[in-house]
Amino acid sequence: MNWKLAAVVSLGGALTAAAFPAIAEDVVVKLWSRADRSGPLRAGNIVAAADTLNKMLAAAGSDKRVKIELNETNAKGYDDDSLDLLKAFAVDKGPDIFVLAHEWTGAFAEAGYAWNLEEHIKKNPELYGDIIGPLWQSVTYKGARYGVPQDSEVRMFFLNNDKLRKLGMSDQDIAALPAKVDSGQFTANDLCDLAGQAVEKGVAKYGILHRPNSGPDFQMLMEAFGVDPYDKAAAKLQVSKAALRSFYTWIKYCMDKKALFANNTSMSWDAIEQASFSGDEAAMLFHGVWRVTDQMKAFNMKGRDDYFRKYTWINMPAGKKGGKPTNLSHPIAYAVSAKSKNRDLAAYIVGLASQPYLNLQHAVTTNHTPINYGEQSMPEIVDKGWALVAATPMLKYATFMPNHPKIGQYNAIMFKGIQGVETGRLNAQAATDFVIDELQNELGKDVVIRN
Amino acid sequence: MADQRRRAAPSRRLHPHGGQRSGEAASVGGSDFARAQRTRRRANFALFLGPALVLLACFFVAPVIVDLVLAFTDMDRTLAVTTLTLENFERMFTRDTRLLASLGITAIFVLATLGIFNVTFALLLALTTTAVPRALGAFFRAVWLLPRMSPSVVYALLWLWVVDPNERGLLNQILVHVLGAAPLDLRNNHPLLVIILANGFIGASLGMIIFTSAIRSIPEHLFHAARADGAGSLAIVRHIVFPALRWPISYMTIHQTLSLLVSFEYILLITGGGPFYDTTVFSLYAYRRAFENGQYAYGAALSLILIVIGVIAALGLWRLMDMRRLLQAPRIEVH
Repeated sequence: MNWKLAAVVSLGGALTAAAFPAIAEDVVVKLWSRADRSGPLRAGNIVAAADTLNKMLAAAGSDKRVKIELNETNAKGYDDDSLDLLKAFAVDKGPDIFVLAHEWTGAFAEAGYAWNLEEHIKKNPELYGDIIGPLWQSVTYKGARYGVPQDSEVRMFFLNNDKLRKLGMSDQDIAALPAKVDSGQFTANDLCDLAGQAVEKGVAKYGILHRPNSGPDFQMLMEAFGVDPYDKAAAKLQVSKAALRSFYTWIKYCMDKKALFANNTSMSWDAIEQASFSGDEAAMLFHGVWRVTDQMKAFNMKGRDDYFRKYTWINMPAGKKGGKPTNLSHPIAYAVSAKSKNRDLAAYIVGLASQPYLNLQHAVTTNHTPINYGEQSMPEIVDKGWALVAATPMLKYATFMPNHPKIGQYNAIMFKGIQGVETGRLNAQAATDFVIDELQNELGKDVVIRN
Repeated sequence: MADQRRRAAPSRRLHPHGGQRSGEAASVGGSDFARAQRTRRRANFALFLGPALVLLACFFVAPVIVDLVLAFTDMDRTLAVTTLTLENFERMFTRDTRLLASLGITAIFVLATLGIFNVTFALLLALTTTAVPRALGAFFRAVWLLPRMSPSVVYALLWLWVVDPNERGLLNQILVHVLGAAPLDLRNNHPLLVIILANGFIGASLGMIIFTSAIRSIPEHLFHAARADGAGSLAIVRHIVFPALRWPISYMTIHQTLSLLVSFEYILLITGGGPFYDTTVFSLYAYRRAFENGQYAYGAALSLILIVIGVIAALGLWRLMDMRRLLQAPRIEVH
């Protein structure tokens, strides 16, 4: 009897084992995304897209399911995150989908890790046909698209109106500032004079606070002094010594006026946020439109009117009177790994995550500008996206960062120069010499040095 | 050595000419025994020295070899090696404008931390904590060991709080509220001092322990005899304690020099090597070059210089301190 029982059990076990994969066959798609408080839905939307896909599969009677395995990294910024990701790919631990700052597209494409999505995008106009045209430029490298932008944004100086009022400025004076900046009447030096006054008169502890680490922000400041980082014709990075010296001279001017803070680059993000928001200790903050979310929360503001009573936005003023202001748009994008076994599936998931409904959730909850034309007329953006609507005109002066594979290194070197001047270790000329030396040493033939 | 000699003796007695009944049998038996002895020696070698050798090979020799190879490649942030090149060394010796400054910072950091804290202050702690009643001495030593027992990040955070430039910082709270002085920004204005203090306060505890144990091992009767001869405390320290500490001090100097040359843990956590490059010691410089921008081959080339400096420092100090004498076999055998 015993052998019969054993046979029945064995047969049952074999049948169960055979049946199980058919019941729950998961296709695992790995996602790499930096844990970013200013955009948690970049990863969340991929998971939501997979959920949609799974519902479709279930409806079609398929046993397959897509499971997103999220690796949320804790790098300090997108530059550090990209370096970590390059290492992960190098040891064959790369994801199927990754979130990257658009200027790294070239580096990943050149290394063979980002999949050329040109054909996929062309074949699927129903997924990508509504994406705002100029945004594609940010993920295009050597004529092909290697990513799908997920958002865009506007960088700016947030002026703290309360501090300006304490300096004796009327509401009319404050309201007139953005137009004065745009017409070139109010220059970069004027900006530091104003911020410096706030510190000198004890109105604010900090004049202008900016990001503490290397990142895209500084490009628009440098552009105001004529530093154009990219030679499109030669497809090389470039720098003009004279323009660079003007930029560092301005940084030194701001330090002398006490508009900038010597320890800004050794502050943590938390300390900067605390000083700018809940501490209300800064006259100005230089960052991006998504910060509206933090500001609304910190000062318990109810809506647009409350907000603009407290803050005024300006572009980076021109370096010289009569010049043009500058701005920067810095899209974050999804890319699909060229090494992925499931790259077609991964690309379709990216396509689903880029549809208006999901993208709008990211846009309105974090104040990033949406990627689809259609989103701009959706009720939610009209209700909750007032900040985005208000910021859009500033994009008139926006540029993108070049998609050169070594732009991350270029930025890091420029940042060291800023840090050198701010901490009093270098004067403008020494900072220029240091940066030129470093650029030549690190980037060699990839950078053209001009006088 | 003496043990080995004693173990080897019986095998000589059992050799063919050792007076056995049959020469052939003795020869066979002798060679078997010798073989067994050899096997046992090998087994003992593998058993007792093997793990240490594997450890040395994996974590000391292999990294040096990997570093040596990487230094001659063009490995960048993608970890790909496309060619063997001398370019890293050409850049290091002809174009790297920060290299000499970084070596200078390292020299100041190592000499000051070692001279002021890891040896001198450690010695002072050992002398004072052995001079007071045992329980009190043990308590103070335990207090000085606390930073070593706490995680590095916690220790670094405490330092960041101490030297915070705002009035919230501990130092400034004392300066402003107790002494009525102006607040200080040590991290920006005297960053090297901050990292020397932070490393020194934690580094002194190791020397303290070693020196304390050396002082405790001095026979008690020497102190009594000195007292009976009318020696004062300073004379006892000079004529009894210091001679007994010669080797521990030499050892600590060599060990801590090498340790400080390559350590940047607290520097990275407290100043990040800044402001600018002000506290970027050479080991941190190599790290920053390698990991901030993914120039791994160049970082490896810089590390190679550090290895060379470390070897020269170790051999130089070994000779200077006459460490060979410390490791000589004792001339008196106690049976």
